[in-house]
Amino acid sequence: MSDDKLTKILTFIHQRNPEVGELNLDDDLIDRRAVDSLAFVEFLYLLEELSGETIDPEEIDVEDFRTLRAIDKRFLHGAAAH
Amino acid sequence: MPTTVKPVKLDLARLEAMAESDYYNPYTIFDWPESLGTDRPWMSEDLVTLAGTEEWGKLTREQQLALTRFEAVNFFSLNVHGIRELLSEVVLRIHTKTYADASEFLHHFIGEENEHMWFFGTFCLKYGGKVYPAVPQVGPGRIEGVGDAATELVIFARILIFEELVDYFNARMATDDSLPPIAQEINRVHHQDESRHVAFGRHLFTQLLDQVKESRPEDIPVLANYLETYLEYSVRSLYNPAVYRDAGLDQPLELRRRLLEHPARHAAHNAILNRTRKFLARNGLQVQGASA
Ligand SMILES: [Fe+2]
Ligand SMILES: [Fe+2]
Repeated sequence: MSDDKLTKILTFIHQRNPEVGELNLDDDLIDRRAVDSLAFVEFLYLLEELSGETIDPEEIDVEDFRTLRAIDKRFLHGAAAH
Repeated sequence: MPTTVKPVKLDLARLEAMAESDYYNPYTIFDWPESLGTDRPWMSEDLVTLAGTEEWGKLTREQQLALTRFEAVNFFSLNVHGIRELLSEVVLRIHTKTYADASEFLHHFIGEENEHMWFFGTFCLKYGGKVYPAVPQVGPGRIEGVGDAATELVIFARILIFEELVDYFNARMATDDSLPPIAQEINRVHHQDESRHVAFGRHLFTQLLDQVKESRPEDIPVLANYLETYLEYSVRSLYNPAVYRDAGLDQPLELRRRLLEHPARHAAHNAILNRTRKFLARNGLQVQGASA
């Protein structure tokens, strides 16, 4: 994904949860408590903004949100430079 | 249920008697017209999420009315999902040792909430053609690192917060003559049932809170923070981009962000949450400088 989009995602996570520390592309965002259930709606809207697509809440698969790499692949068209 | 939580001691005879005498058949008491028409608002105009902002004034009258229709369906959809989630927790607790004293009342509660879900859902499907879907709970949901009493308290505090927030809207819309009669009616009936639920919820809340104060006072600030976050989460759920999209408004996500930052909306949130924040503060659960 573009650095710009990644920065926006990380900024969101760190604002919500400053204790989460550094996150790599393959870190488990849910196990690491990067996004909890009260923050998830806002996280979803952020991804909608970054991807320019609406996400159907009834089609959500948790696995698509588990890592930054998975998010990139599913919502940001795998534009990651890795 | 955790066994370290002591049985709650509640005298609910008065609330149980009221639930019995107020009992009604939800499937027959309402008069559902075939359609509601588009010449009047379905949600009180001062309760829509654009109220008090310049965004509202920018809309044509047709757009304003369309927005009230989708916001009404969204509000009732939030009720459906909120009830679905809270009912499942209550069902897990009825007739357990901790809640033995509450079981009789909880039978009324479960029955009534099922009926609320039915009439709110019926309104959405009949006049809106859909129930807006809920965003699933992804990620850790429960408060973490606290004792059993605090965990139980959070369950019932969430129910209470949800019921009080909804009731702010119900109380207003129950007497708003600009709305279609069926919209006034379901708000009025819900407001009536919820007055018992809120009274019950506050009794239970203070009981469980006493247990937290006794067993793990260090959980109190964690609880206060969690509940403030939950209040804000709840009020933000009123702002649904799908509603703005359905009403034909431009750039729903940007609009949502502008509204959530708007001083008029902060004032509205404070009015909506005032009663609950005061209750929490009286119980030693205030968050300094909290405002939505
Ligand atoms: Fe209800
Ligand atoms: Fe209720």
